[in-house]
Amino acid sequence: MKILVCIKQVPDMESKFKVDTAGTWYEKTDLAWRMNEYDEYAVEQAIQLKEQVKDADLTVLSVGGNQVKETMKKALAMGCDRGAHIEDDSSSDKEPFEIAGIIGEYAKDKSFDLIFTGMQSQDRGSAQVGILVAEQLDMSAVSTVVDFSYSDGTVNVKRELEGGVKACITAKTPLVVTCQLGLNTPRYPTLPNIMKAKKKELLSLPVEDLLKVEPRQETVKVYFPEKKGGGLVLEGDAAELADKLIQVLKEKTAVLA
Amino acid sequence: MEFTREIYWNVGHGAWTLIPMYLLAIGAFYILVKAFIGRVAVYKQGLPLQRTDRPGERAGRMLGNILLQKKVTRVQWPGLLHGFFFWGFGLLFLGTVLIVIQADFTDLLFGIKFLKGTFYKLFSIILDAAGLICLVMLGGLMARRYFFPPKGLESKKDDAIMHGLLFAILLTGFVIEGARMAVTELGTPLAVWSPVGLLFAKTMSGLGDQTLLGLHKVSWWLHLLLVMAFFILIPYTKFRHIFTTSANYFFEDLGPRGKLVNLDLEDEEAETFGATGVKEMSWKDIFDADACTLCMRCQDRCPAYNTDKPLSPMTLVNQIGEAAFTNPDANLIDIISKDVIWSCTTCRACEEICPASIEHVSKIVELRRSMVLMEGEFPGEEVMTAMEATEVNGNPLGMGYAGRGEWAEELGIKTLAEDSDVDLLYFVGCYGSFDKRNIAVAKSFVKLCQAAGVKLGILGKEEKCCGEPMRKMGNEYLYQSLAVENIELIKSYGVSRIVTSCPHCFNTLEKDYRDLGMNAELVTYTVFLEELIKTGRLKINAENLSCTYHDSCYLGRHNGIYEAPRALIAAAGGNLIEMEKNRQEGFCCSAGGGRIMAEEKIGERMNIKRVKMAVETGADMLLSNCPFCLTMFEDGVRGADVEKQLKPRDIAEVLAERI
Repeated sequence: MKILVCIKQVPDMESKFKVDTAGTWYEKTDLAWRMNEYDEYAVEQAIQLKEQVKDADLTVLSVGGNQVKETMKKALAMGCDRGAHIEDDSSSDKEPFEIAGIIGEYAKDKSFDLIFTGMQSQDRGSAQVGILVAEQLDMSAVSTVVDFSYSDGTVNVKRELEGGVKACITAKTPLVVTCQLGLNTPRYPTLPNIMKAKKKELLSLPVEDLLKVEPRQETVKVYFPEKKGGGLVLEGDAAELADKLIQVLKEKTAVLA
Repeated sequence: MEFTREIYWNVGHGAWTLIPMYLLAIGAFYILVKAFIGRVAVYKQGLPLQRTDRPGERAGRMLGNILLQKKVTRVQWPGLLHGFFFWGFGLLFLGTVLIVIQADFTDLLFGIKFLKGTFYKLFSIILDAAGLICLVMLGGLMARRYFFPPKGLESKKDDAIMHGLLFAILLTGFVIEGARMAVTELGTPLAVWSPVGLLFAKTMSGLGDQTLLGLHKVSWWLHLLLVMAFFILIPYTKFRHIFTTSANYFFEDLGPRGKLVNLDLEDEEAETFGATGVKEMSWKDIFDADACTLCMRCQDRCPAYNTDKPLSPMTLVNQIGEAAFTNPDANLIDIISKDVIWSCTTCRACEEICPASIEHVSKIVELRRSMVLMEGEFPGEEVMTAMEATEVNGNPLGMGYAGRGEWAEELGIKTLAEDSDVDLLYFVGCYGSFDKRNIAVAKSFVKLCQAAGVKLGILGKEEKCCGEPMRKMGNEYLYQSLAVENIELIKSYGVSRIVTSCPHCFNTLEKDYRDLGMNAELVTYTVFLEELIKTGRLKINAENLSCTYHDSCYLGRHNGIYEAPRALIAAAGGNLIEMEKNRQEGFCCSAGGGRIMAEEKIGERMNIKRVKMAVETGADMLLSNCPFCLTMFEDGVRGADVEKQLKPRDIAEVLAERI
């Protein structure tokens, strides 16, 4: 069985974001980088499947500059067999259709039985890449999967719908699965696996060879939501609280005027 | 008359006495040595560990601990009972040796007798008193064990054999002496030099000489057989501690205190990391179990055991020993159980008090290393999250790394990247950098330094977690990656002196980082501020303050710093009311050993228990010196519902208010 898992390196969401000078993405300085959370579920599920069927080859793919290799190494340490790094320093300028096009071009002659991706990325959040990869490869796709099982070429999944409703789907491979929170608990890589990962194949391919599609959309502007009125929590004992409250009412409202 | 006595009186000094006696002695000695050689083979199943370097120093420590019973008598009453028994028994042993030397060597070969005259009188009264002391002490120990046992003390067959045998040896000794004196010494001026023997002699004097001679002979041989049984039983019972505990003083860790062994993570040959079985532990880890006397002192002080966690350091050490002797391939993690292994806060209370110099903490960390490095297992998901957060942002709180230096901006403190010409580097640590409550402490410390004209620099966003909680949780890989980055950074700025306000950072930089090339001098803020006050650079306006003080495990037991913080409290005008458990006996706040990252799910909350101890003093304030302690106490006063009564604060805060 051949399995592909696609991951993205994203900034840690605790970072302080600034809009970049072009105004179309975030500034990349002072950010800590990590694997997109939903992609961690995808990697874990792919590894669990490999462990289940035993005879499987699991490739992890990521599009981005050289620094994404750090994140790919974590996927290799978790248990992926080989890495395909699509080298692209301007991947953040590309729209989901282009990224899906790149992945589709890479995967088209490799006959993967299953492709796992995250449900969406934590930074762009378009939730389109996985589905568009399926479209490119003419495969079926199930999205927002929270439960997965495989047996003999048949996949049974649960999808998460609005309001906690689940949908049970059965599909045949080849198949693309996009993974949602709740699917599994990603493992912590063991030290022997971290060591082994250092020796695993991690090939870099230039993006120019794989980018065959034209962009269809453009990011016009990114901006922070406007600051509107927020809550205020007063702390202290009753007398102190009363004083504070009166002060707030005096300063910010006309109630006591 | 000549003050002496005939050795081998009544039993005879001929071949019929000497040959069986020496055959028995040689046989007993043979069994003893053979049994110990067998045990040594079991110890050798463990990995090598260098514990014979600096032999002079080791021998000195060993003699000090054996002869002066230093560690044993740290717990006063049972310790003194043991101590006096030991000294008494030692004298009896020496006395017997003198008899053997005279009777079977000097007198036999050269006709020289030294047990006579004044020396014999002293010899006689000293041995008589030693025998009495031994009997009384043994009586006390037996009463403690069998009539007033402390909570949790288990008595096994071993204990019954040991007490019974020693009692019988001492008693038969006095019967022999009494019978001999009843026949030969009653009414002579020599008799008063054996007052206890005299008492026995007078009691038995009505039996008639014939009976006394028979009784004497029988007791003499019985006494000999009992002593031989004693020798034979040494390796097979807890008597073995006479040798193993003594040897363990020699094999002690010469420090730095509590420093863990650095794992070689680059070793391409290594297939396993940490320990799951005795063969992956060191020989000393197996030997420790043989040195244990089950005195329970560790268990009595263990904060985990005392808050209903499943961990008993004593049990754990002995489980390792039992596995080594009965099933060396067994999985220790299954035997000991994971909850036990995760419960430890590495507070060192066990090691500090252990009268046998057993090292409990490193064993637990070795087992944790295996669980984390080989299985990717943690006590809870929250710990894995903290580990991942540290990998990404360099702190277990998961805060964005770029904001690490923001707390200091308003104080005019620069990073070394901006200005590396400073008196000291302040290694702030994660809590001082990111945790709101502890930022207040870091700011107080900076203000104190500024008042004293000390120019500090920080590393700001370049600083990373020191790695201590991760290392103690078993994540050696993450610890080493953090350590290497920090060390390279510190070296690149040419830093020569570093001050810390977190004892965990201090301990790690001062000890653990040395293995990885750290060479700057380290000082903790308590010692540093005390210097500043002593030299007059920092003036503190003392102002009355009612407080109690909690010794953090890592400033206290791990580094022996007890007085500097107290001097600071005195300088601040503190009226310090000590908690019952203070200094070496301090009770952990719960956050050591990486448990700051873990939820405490089993048993009573340790921090609440400690806060309650502080409340009992009646003080208004609970002072401490560690960000983990402060965090746990802020939580603890809420948990114990004593927020109004007791305010947890750091020493730096009260000092900064008094500049």
